Amino acid sequence: MNCEILQSSDTRANLKIDPRTKIIVLVILNLIVFGETAHYATLFMVAIPFFLLLLSKREKAALIYISAYTLALLGEIFLIPVTHGVLNILIVMITNLLVRMMPGIVMGYYLIVTTTVSEFLASMEKTRIPEIIAIPISVVFRFFPTLIEEIRTIKDAMRMRGIGFNLRTVKSPLILLEYIMVPLLINAVKTGDELSAASLTRGLGNPVKRTHICEVGFHIQDIILLIFSAVALIIFILFK
Amino acid sequence: MLEIKNLNFSYNENKKEPDLKNINLKIKKGEMILLCGESGCGKTTLTRLINGLIPHFYEGSINGQVMINDLSVEKSPIYETAKIIGSVFQNPRSQFFNVDTNSELVFGCENMGLPVEEIQKRFHDVVSTFNIRHLLNKSIFKLSGGEKQIIACASVSASKPQILLLDEPSSNLDSASTWDLRKLISIWKNAGNTVIIAEHRLYYLNDLIDRIIYMKDGKIHKELSRDELRSMDNKSFLQLGLRPLSLEDLSKNKKDFSPKPSKPNDINTHLNLTKFRYSYGKKIAIDIEQLEVPQNEVIAIIGKNGAGKSTFARCLCGLERKCKGLLEKEGKSLGNKERLKLSYMVMQDVNHQIFTESVEDEILLSMEYDKSTEKTEEILKNLDLLHLKDTHPMALSGGQKQRVAIGSAIASRKEIIIFDEPTSGLDLKHMKEVAYNIKKLQKKGIIIFIISHDLELILECCSHVLHFEKGKVVDNYVLDDAGEEKLKHFFINPIKDTNIPITSPVLLFPPKRC
Repeated sequence: MNCEILQSSDTRANLKIDPRTKIIVLVILNLIVFGETAHYATLFMVAIPFFLLLLSKREKAALIYISAYTLALLGEIFLIPVTHGVLNILIVMITNLLVRMMPGIVMGYYLIVTTTVSEFLASMEKTRIPEIIAIPISVVFRFFPTLIEEIRTIKDAMRMRGIGFNLRTVKSPLILLEYIMVPLLINAVKTGDELSAASLTRGLGNPVKRTHICEVGFHIQDIILLIFSAVALIIFILFK
Repeated sequence: MLEIKNLNFSYNENKKEPDLKNINLKIKKGEMILLCGESGCGKTTLTRLINGLIPHFYEGSINGQVMINDLSVEKSPIYETAKIIGSVFQNPRSQFFNVDTNSELVFGCENMGLPVEEIQKRFHDVVSTFNIRHLLNKSIFKLSGGEKQIIACASVSASKPQILLLDEPSSNLDSASTWDLRKLISIWKNAGNTVIIAEHRLYYLNDLIDRIIYMKDGKIHKELSRDELRSMDNKSFLQLGLRPLSLEDLSKNKKDFSPKPSKPNDINTHLNLTKFRYSYGKKIAIDIEQLEVPQNEVIAIIGKNGAGKSTFARCLCGLERKCKGLLEKEGKSLGNKERLKLSYMVMQDVNHQIFTESVEDEILLSMEYDKSTEKTEEILKNLDLLHLKDTHPMALSGGQKQRVAIGSAIASRKEIIIFDEPTSGLDLKHMKEVAYNIKKLQKKGIIIFIISHDLELILECCSHVLHFEKGKVVDNYVLDDAGEEKLKHFFINPIKDTNIPITSPVLLFPPKRC
């Protein structure tokens, strides 16, 4: 009943995973891809975001992710030993970046797009994490899409003004950053302010125990994911 | 029910003049009050004092009292006030805590710690009363401005407040959504709720209002009862600096308005669009087979939210690389690069297009060829910005920022300027100012498009109308007398079209004793 009326924002996600599971997987995944773990354990963990994306009907993102990762990994194994000089440095840089960073970023993306604010708050409450910590973190979920919207608009505005890579900005690339950051920060502060005011008038901060109409909890899918991650973590610790 | 006694307030104690002076106001249960007055008259400040955002969020020094029943807004915590007063704000983008509509609807109830069954009951009640089943389970980032505002009203309603407080709720809405908003307000009113609304656009509230509080310089200048209101005509509203109460009596500004009848099919005086198409994914957003737009006129682009107006503007500016089709000016076809070079859009939220630290730099940034001080000063002088040339643009008022954006467009010698909702949330005086600037630009020979939901602005400065519907141009006409009728029909008609009853008149909020 509860989940019937309070689905996630994303009707595509038919596999519900507890936000806590997602966060734990995210942390372990990052540990494993950054630390030099045995390949089989890494591949195991790297595959998790792929399947999660697939199950939440984001086939395109899933395929892009897995093919980019595979290419980078193959590059790392086969190309680096046979190349020299600048090309070698370039390949090392790109493959390293993709192999080390991408799984974490993709898992983070999955976490943010499939978790609603109320789900997150409910699961934090269950773990007895005080609202004073949970609420600011939950704002992140609200903030990322807003930020992306803002950046897009600012980029458009820059293009109309002819601000982009040209002689002047190549000489001092920092100025480009300034052009993005100044309007971005000002708008972010303004939005944040209005958002806080609106939440206060809706009674956020009321000391009574908050009701969570959205049900969260660990299910079989969470347990499977957690076991996988735990095994990978043990391998990481033992065989490092 | 609500009583304000000898209220004085200032945001900054050191200021000589307080922001609100000697406010005394009693509002009875079930009354519908309209707060109006020019920008900066203190309407918003007053609403903040009523819902407790002052002093609990915005600081300042308060003298006097705001009492709701027996509750002092200043002394009790804001979540107590929140149970009695539901607030809806101006900007639909920044009043949602959640990212999905369902959670947002119950957010207030969850905060009050109501039992789950009760919340579910209220959820279903609100969904059926406001008829918003089609908006459930959606990401708020995918809703239009009007839809967001409806969700905002519905979610406030779910907490069953006795007083509804709305701060310029219509300023980002198209005409159909504005009439929808009216319906929501009348539901509240019929259910016996007190409604307080601060607003510039008055026409959609016409016969709902019980009392108008007219504010000026932080004081209550005038109070008009329902009967007094009826006896006033649009002229007396204009004298008060207010937007008209009914759109029917508006008419075109004929004084400095002389569209030269340009011969059709003349490539020198017309922009020509052929097979102009744009689609994202499989959805076709713009589909124009053939269109001819006169060049030395001010063209209004009208249509409902989501009709493709903004996408069309983006294509004209060359911002959409995937836009197909021809755009010809004086027989020359313009590709995306040329479009980017020749055209400029003044965005609804001008904050996004200001990049530098002073007004002067902002203009200089746009000058590609002759970066001369005289030229800059001339542009600034024409826009009445010269005295502000060293100011940081973000410190300017909304209208001034808009003029800076216009200035940078002139400096980079743009030939087409598109305004996206230039007057949303503006009072009469500032709306006229925008119209004045637009007319001046037109005299310079710049082609101007205005996307607008503001009938008054269009009548004030446009001479041609493009009507969009579902990505197509369904009408393209000169704004002469016949055109004026058509235009008014578009803006006023939605009353009849959307007058389908929402549901049977359910008493949503059983009247409590106050």
